[in-house]
Amino acid sequence: MSSISCPVAAMPAEDVTKHASRLTLKSQLDDMASLWPWVEALIAQYAIPSDTAFAIHLCLEEAISNVIRHGYNGQPGETFTVDCASPNAHEVVFTIEDQAPPFDPVSGSLIEEQPATSPMDYLRPGGRGILLMRNFASRLTYQRLEGGNRLTISFVLPK
Amino acid sequence: MEMELSTHEMDGGVTRVELDGRMDIAGAAAVDLKMNLIAGSAKKLLIDLQKVTFLGSMGLRSIVLPARAVHSRGGKVVLFAPTEMVESVLKASGIDSILPVHHDLAAAIAALQ
Repeated sequence: MSSISCPVAAMPAEDVTKHASRLTLKSQLDDMASLWPWVEALIAQYAIPSDTAFAIHLCLEEAISNVIRHGYNGQPGETFTVDCASPNAHEVVFTIEDQAPPFDPVSGSLIEEQPATSPMDYLRPGGRGILLMRNFASRLTYQRLEGGNRLTISFVLPK
Repeated sequence: MEMELSTHEMDGGVTRVELDGRMDIAGAAAVDLKMNLIAGSAKKLLIDLQKVTFLGSMGLRSIVLPARAVHSRGGKVVLFAPTEMVESVLKASGIDSILPVHHDLAAAIAALQ
């Protein structure tokens, strides 16, 4: 099971949007089922509009499945965290931290950027997830940590 | 809710596949086998996306691989009636440049002829 800590409820009302909610996930794809109720609660908490909620789902699915499939190479038995915070009224920030080998999804080298020269090239089966994250997130930031990775995905909320 | 898939054979040899639900990792896994089976025989494939509420990269893969199979046999594939956000995923990935997106059923069917 995943664990959730949510100190938000204990905060004074004026600080609520500034503090994080944390989800701990196991390094296995079926544990992602616990991600969506957590995300839905945050979407409700921050009154996030449906288009932004769609973008959050898309980016988190991609980023977290990347951690599990590529960062941890599909090996179960590890855990990593997803934090959500809202530093101001117009932005929601998700931070994913793991202890996996270096994996930088922000790097252009991970995107299949070779030009498509035939219709079949456009129908390549993979290589679109990071491209989609770049399109749907307001900002993506990668930091290599000592013994891990930190990916920060920000979404600007409509005013 | 688990992803659902239904098929209808239409006039003119068009196979209409209606997808219903979230095309996330779990949704993609739920329809992959059926999609590949359909793609093994369909020559004119209309993929109805109007009830798809989410499309991620694995969901895209579940559309692209069958489409590739149909194209490789000389067939055609069109995408029908995606929601605005699902269509934005199709555009951002470039899929719409090779799999035409139609919001009018008659136009979608005509594009397959």
